[in-house]
Amino acid sequence: MSEPVALDEYEAGELSVLYETEPAEDVIAWALERFHPRLAIAEGGGAEGMVIIDIAVKVQPDVRVFTLDTGRLPQETYDLVEQVRGRYGVRVEMLAPEAVHVEEMVRRHGPNLMYRSVDLRLLCCQVRKVLPLTLYLASLDAWITGLRREQWASRAEVRKIELDHDHGGIVKLNPLADWTKREVWDYIRANDVPYHPLYDQGYTSIGCAPCTRPIEPGQEDRAGRWWWEKDGPKECGIHCAIYTGGFEHELEALLKTERFEDGDREDR
Amino acid sequence: MPESRKYGTGDRRPLPEEPSWEQVLERNSIERLKKEKPPVQIVDEIEELGQRHYLDVSEEDIVRLKWYGLYHDKPRVGSFMLRIKVPGGLLPPQSLRAVGEISISFGEGFAELSTRQNVQLHFIELSRVPEIFERLAAAGLTTAGGCGDAVRNITGCPLEGIQAEELFDVIPVVEDAARFFYGNPDYMNLPRKHKITISACPYQCDMPEINCIGLVGATHGGRAGFAVRVGGGLSTAPRLSRDMGVFVPMGEALEVLRAIVDVWKEDRRYRLSRVKARLKFMVDDYGPEGIRGLVERRLGRRLQDFAAPEPQASTNHMGVHEQKQPGLFHVGVPIPAGIVGGEQLIRMADLAWSFGGDVRTTKQQNLIVTGVPGGRLEVVMEELKEIGFPPETNPLRASAIACTGEPHCNYSVTETKGKMLQILDHLEAEWGDRLSNFRLNLDGCPHACALHWVGDIGLMGTTAREAVDGERQAFDVFLRGGVGPEEAIARPVVRRVPFPHVEATLDRLLGAWFAGRGMGESFRDFCIRKTDQELQAIAAGTAVSVGEGT
Repeated sequence: MSEPVALDEYEAGELSVLYETEPAEDVIAWALERFHPRLAIAEGGGAEGMVIIDIAVKVQPDVRVFTLDTGRLPQETYDLVEQVRGRYGVRVEMLAPEAVHVEEMVRRHGPNLMYRSVDLRLLCCQVRKVLPLTLYLASLDAWITGLRREQWASRAEVRKIELDHDHGGIVKLNPLADWTKREVWDYIRANDVPYHPLYDQGYTSIGCAPCTRPIEPGQEDRAGRWWWEKDGPKECGIHCAIYTGGFEHELEALLKTERFEDGDREDR
Repeated sequence: MPESRKYGTGDRRPLPEEPSWEQVLERNSIERLKKEKPPVQIVDEIEELGQRHYLDVSEEDIVRLKWYGLYHDKPRVGSFMLRIKVPGGLLPPQSLRAVGEISISFGEGFAELSTRQNVQLHFIELSRVPEIFERLAAAGLTTAGGCGDAVRNITGCPLEGIQAEELFDVIPVVEDAARFFYGNPDYMNLPRKHKITISACPYQCDMPEINCIGLVGATHGGRAGFAVRVGGGLSTAPRLSRDMGVFVPMGEALEVLRAIVDVWKEDRRYRLSRVKARLKFMVDDYGPEGIRGLVERRLGRRLQDFAAPEPQASTNHMGVHEQKQPGLFHVGVPIPAGIVGGEQLIRMADLAWSFGGDVRTTKQQNLIVTGVPGGRLEVVMEELKEIGFPPETNPLRASAIACTGEPHCNYSVTETKGKMLQILDHLEAEWGDRLSNFRLNLDGCPHACALHWVGDIGLMGTTAREAVDGERQAFDVFLRGGVGPEEAIARPVVRRVPFPHVEATLDRLLGAWFAGRGMGESFRDFCIRKTDQELQAIAAGTAVSVGEGT
């Protein structure tokens, strides 16, 4: 009736205060010691995820890493996965969407549905990212993300250790929460960490190929993601809120659907 | 590893060096946002922003709008919540009427009563905000500092000025403080939100224990004044406020409030990270006596030693009671889950107006109609019943609170008010009036707007790993918390109860208490007497025996 949990709300709250002033290395080491192997690092091609992997493998060479393989990722993302495998010996878990969901969606709405309406773009995110992520996290006690506070105003209060109540109340660690963009890149250069090649082509975030593009100097970051949308949800622009959890709720509210469970079919 | 250190209050660590402004601005993007354009100024741009499509309003300006009580509704597609401040819960009929009218003309015809005596509207369009602000101002109301890093609504006992047992009338102090802080540019760039409560209610119904600053009414040497409690607050790292150990005469209250806020807002340590920005973390670091020292230095004088008085009992001031003004009565109006229609607000305003009375908002999301002449009581009760809020309802409907939650709040992971109404129906059917004044506090997320840390039972929204009856919404059950004479922070003893099982879980816990409680034993004491494992077994229905000796 009452499911066992890795940490409770009180412990998580106090730990987040305690670790607020500790370096990312300590947060990651603590998490690995406490939760490995029921812990995984989310890496979607972003520079932050690469920093976390670089720190984590030094503590735990068998650390688990996963990527949401939406089926629409740019080739460069797969190249980066190969680099991670080669450099760190980490077998990145590639989470594929349910074939039956994708087939049904594409049969009804076509492969480029995301350009047609916000609802359809969100449906595509739901099928290719949210559902596989939710399913995967249900098998873990903790996950690590590269969320940083300065990425987005709504992330300013992200804690380094928190419970992810959007995903079964497992522990979510955001060890780079207080890092600046400069610090991320300084780390990457200083440690010769591999990074996504699209950054060098003007991309400010890495996502699915059809929905991400480089921006021109002086352009708003929002211009790099879902730039064609006229009535999309605010704050879902550049750094997709998928890892924050808010995304699912936004989506639910917009699509007016129940969070549909594995095996369910979207019936519109 | 720091984990081996004991966490929570009491374990004081050496203070880190104070960071420079440069370091603060590098590390804290909200401080940067506030420096680039102070949110207090956004009020001058609202008219222009309202002309734009919401996607063309910058994310930073959307954040700045919070300083005027505007929060993006869910989904974030250009409709807003508006939080109207009601200092001390004082809402005269003409103000109440204005809120009702605005909810109908500009919102969707309803309002929410908040747990800090605010009134909130939803579905507000930015383009209409200037007009709303004009109408609010005409009604003596403001939203300045309703959200954001400001002095939030100054709360109090809703019976200030009329309660038969109150030590003295604090309305002048509340009004002075509200006049001074609300919208004051010097106090619209605090490290984070700041919550003040002021009352001379012997029951301390305004909960000074969970506010940043609580001025607790007391008399000392024949003078009216306040004890001062500092550093309370809930959210994800709950703290009960601690006694600063001083007496402040009534006339010096505002000066001392300012001094406390000043020492905090000027210490850059509390601007580096928003996770540790609240006053409670400064109290963690300095201790209440350390804060007292800083405040005294700032004031340039010593404060008198004094121990904060204990609350007499717990109450939410429902029911019908005679006021300190003989022949006049106040009538509690339970508003289940704090949801009230605009039309209902208008009718209540007109009702109070008809006998020269007043309306107050309470922290349990209810209303109190005051100044009812004894001869009109019966008619007024009848009228309230007709409006849809019979005063003589099950007291549980007044003592239970639920946060905004789904469908409006972007933080919430579960529906809240709807679920609460469902639970109330069930508990009323199951337990009748045996649960009078039981404090059931239901939250949709860890922010604790509905105070799940200090309820008799707190419920906090989360998700279950597996769906039950197609539903993944679940609740953690917080036990052993309390306020007033029972003040304590609860623990989530029973976790991840899928919503379809919540009612049965509550029934088993309550049933075990009814069956096994000692003479006059409170639910909290019962939970303290039981171990976590025992409570979990009771909650799950796997306990071998529930009652004492059965």
